[in-house]
Amino acid sequence: MNFQVYNRDICVGDIRVIGVSSSSLLMVGDAETIQLAATFDTPAESLIIGPFVPLSPDA
Amino acid sequence: MIAMLQRIACVDHIKVDSVSFSSIFQIGDSEQICGISRAIAVQREAEIFYTNEGSFGAYPIFSEAIPFEPMTESLNGSTQNLNPVLKVRNIGIMGASSSSVVHIGNSRHISMEARVKHIRQLLPRRNHVD
Repeated sequence: MNFQVYNRDICVGDIRVIGVSSSSLLMVGDAETIQLAATFDTPAESLIIGPFVPLSPDA
Repeated sequence: MIAMLQRIACVDHIKVDSVSFSSIFQIGDSEQICGISRAIAVQREAEIFYTNEGSFGAYPIFSEAIPFEPMTESLNGSTQNLNPVLKVRNIGIMGASSSSVVHIGNSRHISMEARVKHIRQLLPRRNHVD
C-alpha cells in the first residue's frame, strides 16, 4: 500500500470535553501507533433480582 | 530515534479540573504509553456495601484475551509536515479518570485497555408482571 500524508495547517479554536475515562486518550500531537481495546460486560445474568448476596470476596 | 520530523503541539490555554484513578496529564513528548483499567461497577437498589467483596478473578472478562489483528501488509509511506505546528487556542476538560491520558505532545506507541463488568442488584419485586 502506498500511503502519503501531507500535514497542512491545523488550527483549532476551542476544545471542550466533559470527561475522558476508562483508558481513553485525548491527544494533541502525533503518534506512530495507537492501539485501543475495551470490553464492557453487561449480560442478562448480571441483573440480579432478589435478596442481596455479596459478590465473591477479593482473593 | 524519531524517524520522521514530528510536529510541535502549541496549546495557548488548557484547564483540567480533575485527574483521578491513575490518569495522566502529560505535557511533552513520550515514547510509550500503556494504560489498563479494570472495574467492577455494582449498582444496588438499597444502600448496602460490603467492604471485602469483588474479585477480578471471578469474572472471565478480566482475563480473556482481546484479539488484535497485527498489520501484515507492507506500508510504503511518507509524511510531509508542511506546517509543523498543531495549534489549539483553548482546551477545557472537566475530568480525566480510570487510567485515561490527556497528552499534549508527540508519542510513538500508545496502547490503552479498559475492562468493565456491570452488575445490578435489585430488591425483590412485590407485584411481578409476567
